[in-house]
Amino acid sequence: MSSERHDRIAELLEEFALGQLGPEQQAEVDAHLRDCAACAQALCEINEALALLAESAPAIQPPASLRARVLASVANERQEHAREHTTRTDSRRHHWPWLATAAALLLSIGLAFSLYRSESERQALSQDVQRATAEATNLRERLLRFSNQTDLALAILTAADMRQLPLAGREDAAATAARAYWSPTRGLLVVADRLPTPPPGRVYQVWVIERGQPVSAGLLGDQAEGRGMLVAPPPRQGGGTAVTVAVTDEPPGGLVAPSGTIRLAGSI
Amino acid sequence: MLEGNAATAIDKRLINRVAGGERDAIAELYDRHGARVYALAHRILGNGPDAEDVVQEVFSQAWRTANSYQPDRGAVVAWLLVIARTRALDRVRARKPSEQGLDEADPLALVSKSAAPADELIAREQAERVRAAVMQLPADQRRALELAYFDGLSQTEIAAKLQAPLGTVKTRIRTALATLRRSFHA
Repeated sequence: MSSERHDRIAELLEEFALGQLGPEQQAEVDAHLRDCAACAQALCEINEALALLAESAPAIQPPASLRARVLASVANERQEHAREHTTRTDSRRHHWPWLATAAALLLSIGLAFSLYRSESERQALSQDVQRATAEATNLRERLLRFSNQTDLALAILTAADMRQLPLAGREDAAATAARAYWSPTRGLLVVADRLPTPPPGRVYQVWVIERGQPVSAGLLGDQAEGRGMLVAPPPRQGGGTAVTVAVTDEPPGGLVAPSGTIRLAGSI
Repeated sequence: MLEGNAATAIDKRLINRVAGGERDAIAELYDRHGARVYALAHRILGNGPDAEDVVQEVFSQAWRTANSYQPDRGAVVAWLLVIARTRALDRVRARKPSEQGLDEADPLALVSKSAAPADELIAREQAERVRAAVMQLPADQRRALELAYFDGLSQTEIAAKLQAPLGTVKTRIRTALATLRRSFHA
C-alpha cells in the first residue's frame, strides 16, 4: 500500500464513518481498512466518539411492548450465512475486477450446486464452525482476563495497605463463606464459596461503600458453581479509613447504585 | 467500571452467541441497548412509531448479520447505533417533502413506565455525562457535528448551511470527534 494512498484515505475516515462518501470512495476506504491496522484503529475511535454523540440524544424510553415486537420479528427470521472476510488481502485484486467477478460467479454456481446437493450438511457444518469460532473467541477473552486478574490479585494481596474483611452472609447466603481483601491503592479482591444461585435474571454485584457512598466494584463472576470471585482496581479514590464491602443482587450488567437485596457485607 | 471494557466484553460474548443462533442472546442485547437505539432513532425521526419500526429493523438486522460484525471497527453498541442511524436517515430521506420535519413527540413515551427506575437512572447518568461533554465543544464544532450525525447532511451541505469553507467544516467535525472522545475518557 502506498503511503500517499494511506494518507488520502486517513483523511476520509470521518466521512466514511458518517456515511458521507459516494459508493466508490466508500468501497475504496473499506478495502483499505482490511489492509491497514492503523486506519482500522482510527475508525474504531471515530465510531466510539459517534456512539457517545448518539447518547447525547434525549433519553426517551421505548414503550414496553416494543421488546416483544422485536423478539417476535427475530423469531421468524433466519440468519444469513457468515460473510467471508479477507483480511490483509493482496492489493492486486483491485486491478482485476473481472477476475473477482468471474470468481464470484464460479463460487455462486458452486455454492448453488452444493446447496442443491447437501443443504442440511452445509447448514450443520456452518453451525459447527460458528460455534467453534464463538467458543475460541470466548476462551481467548477468558484467558486474557484471568491473566490480568491474577496480576492484580497478587498486587492487592502483597500491598502494604491491604486489609482483610470477613463478609457475613445474609438472607439465603447465610451459609456462604466469603472474604474481601481491600487495598485503597491497589484494589479489591472478593472470594466467596457456597454462594446460592442468584434469583432468575439477576447477578451479584460488589459495592465499596465509603462515607456512605456506594460505588460499584463490578460483578461477582462464576456463580453457577457456587463460587464467586471479583478482582477490581479501586473503584474510586478513597482516603477514608472506614470501608464497607457489600454484595447485592442486581439486573444483568449491574447498576450504578445498589437496588437489590444485600447478600454479603463486611466493614472495617 | 461497568461501562467500558467490562461492558464491551459482555457485548462481544453476546454477539458471538447471537451469531451462534441463540435467540436468548438477542433478547439480552435488546435489554442492554434497546433504549439507546430507540433514543437515537427518535432523535433523528422525531416521532415514536417510526423510531419503533427502526428499532425492530436494527435488531432483525443484528440477528441476521451478527456474523458480519467486525470487532476491529468498533464496539457492538457502536455497530448497533450505526445501523440505527443509517436506517433512520434512510426513512427521513424517503419522506415526502410535506412530511419533512414531522414532530409528534409522543407524550406517553416521555413518561413511559416500561423501564425499571434503576435502568433509567443509569441511562440518565450516562447521558448527562455525554451531554456535558458535547456541550463543552465549541458551538461551531458542535453544530457541524450534529448536522452531520443527526441530520445526515454531507460536508458540502453543512458548508453551505453554515456559510463556512468545506475544509473548515471537515476540520471542525474531526476536531469535535477527537475532543469528545478524549474528554469522555479523561
